[in-house]
Amino acid sequence: MKKIHIVGIVIIAVAIGAIFTTINNTSTYASFTEAAKEPGNEFHVVGKLNKEKEAVYEPKVNANLFTFYMIDNKGEERKVILHKNKPQDFERSEQIVLIGKMEGEEFVASDILMKCPSKYNDGKPQETASK
Amino acid sequence: MEYIGEHLLIGKVGNVFVILSFVFALIASISYFFAARDNEEAASWKRIARISFRVHGLSVIGVVATLFIMLQNHYFEYEYVWHHSNKEMPMRYILSCFWEGQEGSFLLWSFWHVILGFILQRTSKNWEAPVMATISIVQAFLASMLLGIFVFEYRIGSNPFTVLLRQHPDFANIPLFDNPNYLEKLDGRGLNPLLQNYWMTIHPPTLFLGFALTVVPFAYAIAGLWKKQFSEWLKPALPWTFFGIMVLGTGVLMGGAWAYEALSFGGFWAWDPVENASLVPWLTLVGAGHVMLISRNNPQSLFITFLLSILSFILILYSTFLTRSGILGESSVHAFTDLGMSGQLLIYLFFFLILGVVLITINFKHFPKQKEEEGIWSREFWMFIGAVVLLVSSFQIMFYTSMPVWNKLFNLNKAPAKDVIDFYNTWQLPFAFLVTLLIAVGQYFKYKNTDIKFFVKKISLSFISALLISAIMGYFLNFSKLFYYLLLFSSIFAVAANADYMIRILKGNVKKAGASVSHIGFALILLGALISTSKKDIISQNSSGRSIESLGDKMSNNDNILLTQGDTLPMGKYFVTYTGKRFEGINIYFDVIYFSKNTDGSFKKEFSLAPLVQTNPRMGNVAEPDTRHFLTFDVYTHVTYADLESLKEKKAETKDEYSLAKNYTLKKGDTIYSSNAIIIFDSLSTSFDKTPYNLEKDDIAVMAHLRVLDVTKKHQAKPLFVIHNNMIQPIGSKVDELGLQFMFWKLNPKDGNIEISVQEKKENVRDFIVMQAMIFPYINVLWIGCIIMVIGTVLAILERLKRSSN
Repeated sequence: MKKIHIVGIVIIAVAIGAIFTTINNTSTYASFTEAAKEPGNEFHVVGKLNKEKEAVYEPKVNANLFTFYMIDNKGEERKVILHKNKPQDFERSEQIVLIGKMEGEEFVASDILMKCPSKYNDGKPQETASK
Repeated sequence: MEYIGEHLLIGKVGNVFVILSFVFALIASISYFFAARDNEEAASWKRIARISFRVHGLSVIGVVATLFIMLQNHYFEYEYVWHHSNKEMPMRYILSCFWEGQEGSFLLWSFWHVILGFILQRTSKNWEAPVMATISIVQAFLASMLLGIFVFEYRIGSNPFTVLLRQHPDFANIPLFDNPNYLEKLDGRGLNPLLQNYWMTIHPPTLFLGFALTVVPFAYAIAGLWKKQFSEWLKPALPWTFFGIMVLGTGVLMGGAWAYEALSFGGFWAWDPVENASLVPWLTLVGAGHVMLISRNNPQSLFITFLLSILSFILILYSTFLTRSGILGESSVHAFTDLGMSGQLLIYLFFFLILGVVLITINFKHFPKQKEEEGIWSREFWMFIGAVVLLVSSFQIMFYTSMPVWNKLFNLNKAPAKDVIDFYNTWQLPFAFLVTLLIAVGQYFKYKNTDIKFFVKKISLSFISALLISAIMGYFLNFSKLFYYLLLFSSIFAVAANADYMIRILKGNVKKAGASVSHIGFALILLGALISTSKKDIISQNSSGRSIESLGDKMSNNDNILLTQGDTLPMGKYFVTYTGKRFEGINIYFDVIYFSKNTDGSFKKEFSLAPLVQTNPRMGNVAEPDTRHFLTFDVYTHVTYADLESLKEKKAETKDEYSLAKNYTLKKGDTIYSSNAIIIFDSLSTSFDKTPYNLEKDDIAVMAHLRVLDVTKKHQAKPLFVIHNNMIQPIGSKVDELGLQFMFWKLNPKDGNIEISVQEKKENVRDFIVMQAMIFPYINVLWIGCIIMVIGTVLAILERLKRSSN
């Protein structure tokens, strides 16, 4: 057996390892209902902020707690507990991705990603204050 | 309608340049193709090819100049100009506007290819025709990205010169365009505030030059396969490859520096898909450069040399596809929005991928073979292993980064795990360990074979000293993982061995020490990254003593801390005060002062930082951190939340003692919050001492027991619900210490739910910020490493150029 073959086998082994650990080290996009079926597992839930209901952030009490209501893409609403600061510009978000688990009726999120239409796209041509 | 003041001519000029650049790139590639064949007509084809490429190049420069003039003169009638700039923008950001959009960044890339093409036309001698044929076809593809023409309903490219704002489909029926003089009243949308800094001026041109440079080894490799000169292309391609390594590496590291200084990642590397997309081609290019060195004399590594040289360019195309097709979606902060060109990008990618694969496959049998395998004690063998490690490491990064692509291909819905950074670090740490180990010993091996006694004798000094140094450092650093110690040792070993090599073997001849110097730089980068990341100290964590048990925050992430104006809180070895905010243009600066405590208990001001929030009504607010740099550590401060809403009404305060009441409906055990306390509804009672309340006999009175918790103390509030002569006449209760007042308005006899209102004293609402503070120890080692690596690569390139001109 040549050295090159040994090297080849090692490469293939490591590459397969990389593929498998990658597949195992993922979470899944799901709805609240699906997440509720497996309460211990972590999911990504995509949805929209329910602007009708109150989003509570009381930094003076706990700067790392923010609660709000989100409607997922299947139309189901849940209370969300985020253990982080309220993201800047939260109300402007068009879409929210939550990362976390269901605990009882509430979704406990450890992280949040927001898509703000404003960041890259928004803004239509409009008159500026006359100068 | 006749519009007033539009500059339509310049757009037509620009469009002519776009078409010329595309057509002449095509002509150049065809004629260079024929010029590369060995027949009598080749010489005349070459004349046509040269002229065509020059016309193409000048057209690209013409496109760049036209677009620049349009941006500089604020011709907002063009969508691109309106989209990416505005009138208030200082001159220095015009360049940033230029390449903020996809079209502009393609132009920048194409522009660098033109410059490289012009240089190669003069310097590549008999390689000119085959090499330039590839570069010309690459340019034809790039130029097509700007065409903006429709072929059977399918739009090819996006053309900044032909898309007028008033004709843009997104903005149809906007009343502004009913006014023939609309331009008078129009301002541009402006550049994303995130991008308004000097990094945006220097990072993209550097990175795109790095991207562009990968085309040179690619074109040479293709030429070598095509002309069946499997080893001859290596010598002219080598200096280009190392130049590419230097520039692309600088570009990637600049991106890291930008993220560290101006973005809110809380670090210099977040394994973001876009960062990975430019790191991976750099890794393969480094591998390519090193195997090219050994392949000159040893045909055994030819296959991996071709593979890595071609792969680096393909990976650049792939990363272009990832960042511009919109496929990354939410998983990245700085992907471009989709311009509907992903199909075109895929064709581009597959064209060159198939070209490379086919050429390698048909030529593989003909690669010169070497009878003997290289010995295990040869430098070739270990350089080859190094390249393999880089390739596998690249594979791991790219496979995970491509998750959205796998989702699309196989109809999956996998999302990246919560701790992506940790996953990458766990995988890449062993690779980094192997690479640094190889860097340490590599140069002590000789080509062909090494005398083992000589090797051991020479390497032992740096081995033992590295072992000692890392043992001492490891003792003080006290890492959490075994691999951290291994990488600590291997990177110090790499620094020591290469320094020793420079001193004892090269006798301090700096000109020849390019490899050693750049290896020292690379090892220092990893060392700095290791220490600053693994020993990163979030000093804003848990120092407030405000952990409130009732919240049951078992998985809480306590990185943020609240600082009320005037309060001082301990953070790490500092005491930190927020003194107030300042308004400067669209920026709001939050002044944060760091103190240290003297032995006598008095505070001494150490330094102050002003992290900021940039307000932009159209594009959203962006927070930017501020960092204080010391020799051995950095203090990073970032405002994660500030109550910007209150800014709007800040002058509307009246003399009212209490703010407006907030109403809550509560059931037993419910919790509500005021700005300074937690309020829990415990119980109701009817039997209590009624004497203080002046109640009459027939009055019905119910008392609510509220528990009011602030940081340090527990208070009680007992508002009364009273029905007097069939009228509700509640009696309030105050907690003076906290400036709170409670009223009990309603009682539902069925379920015992109550409705209360809470009022707060105005002065309670003091200004505050929520911030994060981190200490990055020894991050300067990383930046010094970057500079040393660049210097080393320059030395290596100069030495190569000198040797190839001799």
